[in-house]
Amino acid sequence: MRGDEDMENPLLQVKDLKTYFRTEDGLVKAVDGVDFEVFPGKTLGIVGESGCGKSVTSLSIMRLLDEKGYVAGGEVLFSGQDLLKLSEPKMRKIRGNDIAMIFQEPMTALNPVYTVGDQIMEAVALHQKKSQSQSRKVAIDMLQKVGIPNPEKRVDEYPHELSGGMRQRAMIAMSLSCNPKVLIADEPTTALDVTIQAQILDLMRGLQKEFGMAIIMITHDLGVIAETADHVVVMYAGKAVEYTDTRTLFKDPRHPYSWGLMNALPRLDLDQESLYNIPGIVPDPLSFPTGCKFHTRCPFLEPICKEEEPPLKDVGNGHLARCFFIEKVMEARRKSKAGERV
Amino acid sequence: MRERQTDAMLQVRNMVKYFPIRGGVFRRTVGWVQAVDKVDFDVYEGETFGLVGESGCGKTTAGMTLMRLYNASSGQAWFKDRDLLSLKGNALRNLRKEIQMIFQDPYSSLNPRMRVKNIIAEGARTHHIIPQGSSANEYVADLMKKVGLSADHMYRFPHEFSGGQRQRIGIARALAVQPKMIVCDEAVSALDVSIQAQVINLLKKLQTEFHLTYIFIAHDLAVVKHISDRIAVMYLGKIVETSAKKELFDRPMHPYTKALISAIPVPNPEAKRQRIILTGDVPSPINPPSGCRFHTRCPIAKEICSREEPTFEEKRPAHFVACHFSE
Repeated sequence: MRGDEDMENPLLQVKDLKTYFRTEDGLVKAVDGVDFEVFPGKTLGIVGESGCGKSVTSLSIMRLLDEKGYVAGGEVLFSGQDLLKLSEPKMRKIRGNDIAMIFQEPMTALNPVYTVGDQIMEAVALHQKKSQSQSRKVAIDMLQKVGIPNPEKRVDEYPHELSGGMRQRAMIAMSLSCNPKVLIADEPTTALDVTIQAQILDLMRGLQKEFGMAIIMITHDLGVIAETADHVVVMYAGKAVEYTDTRTLFKDPRHPYSWGLMNALPRLDLDQESLYNIPGIVPDPLSFPTGCKFHTRCPFLEPICKEEEPPLKDVGNGHLARCFFIEKVMEARRKSKAGERV
Repeated sequence: MRERQTDAMLQVRNMVKYFPIRGGVFRRTVGWVQAVDKVDFDVYEGETFGLVGESGCGKTTAGMTLMRLYNASSGQAWFKDRDLLSLKGNALRNLRKEIQMIFQDPYSSLNPRMRVKNIIAEGARTHHIIPQGSSANEYVADLMKKVGLSADHMYRFPHEFSGGQRQRIGIARALAVQPKMIVCDEAVSALDVSIQAQVINLLKKLQTEFHLTYIFIAHDLAVVKHISDRIAVMYLGKIVETSAKKELFDRPMHPYTKALISAIPVPNPEAKRQRIILTGDVPSPINPPSGCRFHTRCPIAKEICSREEPTFEEKRPAHFVACHFSE
């Protein structure tokens, strides 16, 4: 479906994933139909605003949902087996070993009462069956690889002794210590300053080249997507609304939400008179609208959008979009482009 | 220190804010956090002045000090003909009518026990804009419409609104006393992109309508670029560069500004850019580096930079830079 990559088999396939939460107020369909594939050595971006279900998607893949959440449907295929059907002991062998994860806030994701080294060594000893001294060597090597100065000394420090950027580096060292095939990064740079963000993204790019792992990059920042991802899923209200390669998404967005989001963004590289207004607010997950979830905010609304849910359909060359009226977005884009040149 | 100019609405000169660090049994001062250290800037009537920098650079402290939510350690800030850093009592209260603030977090900056109507009307009553004994309904309804809220919701509590709507309440509250200047401290940082765009557009519309002057404090350079006319870049308590927006982005002169601009991910996968990646972390403002505070991370630092602090000079017309080697 994606040109030259047809040759290669996907490492991870997510098919029509649905994750619901039972809450006191009712059923929350946090993820309600997400499809994507992850290829070795490539980065898949998942982008959307808060509450769109992008983090729940990653927690579902890792099977880290709390007791209120459950997977209501779909498959997560990793080297032929459905992760959602594995027993917990088997899943534990994969989690942290074949599929690792880094989180937004490294201070809360790291255990404050163990040294950084202990936490890396724990994973290595568990998954790779290495001795104490061997694991320690791996830990020091990894800290060196992620650019932490004096790794021999830092390995014995506690998370609070490190700065935010250094903590995120330690987190990355830990996640890569077992040489995972897939790394899920959930807003890895959101809590960091831009100059530190640039360091971490640069580091991740370098490590991906060196280790060849696939990355799932979850972020709200379209800039981070443009700089890191090969393919992108745009999520809105629990659904994948657009899925294509990164260049195509930015050049030729077909879903009204993706298009609106791009025009709502203040840009460093363009001079904009005013920003595009996506009217209204993200709908409450307890009472999502009927039909197309975006219809309450869509400028191209037609009667059918309120009644029927559009399917995620191919609009050419494997570019998927969930909208009945993609021509309208294309026309609006043509008009605004022409307007810019006048 | 720059000379006072007569045409600026606000002229900040040598403003300093240090916070004491207390330690020991007697809570003696054992050190100082040099949050804002001798900053100079001018804000002109009707413009948006952007103050940008990373966390801990002192941009919020600068805003809070101007609002007199902190007392400055030293320096002056001339608002028209008054030094607002030394005002007291009634004079200070009158100042608050002229300068208002919008805060970052729309959750903690609104009193959860007050109805929206009272939140918005409180300031206007204090400053006798709504006469005593008369109803505020019409005044509040008008303001709510202006910021894009439904006037039917004036008896609701803050928790009944979304983040973007709460930020609109905060804006209406600031506008209620008919200020000349509004300090927006990370006013859109907590909002999602689609909501952020709505609030930015609203702020621009209100600026034209009420002829407001903004000091727009934010860490997001793209947002600051979009909304500001002139921009000051802060690093570790110092302003390192100030100029008009276009000039700053076309010809950044300070190495920190250059690195900051290049570090921002641009939402265009086709863009080929040369990235300057700074090494290390921002040092602590408790013991800032000697000489130029940026020298520990500066790609072009030389020996003099650790010894001598560069002066803040006008290197091109209306373009001020503090660097020994800026070209």
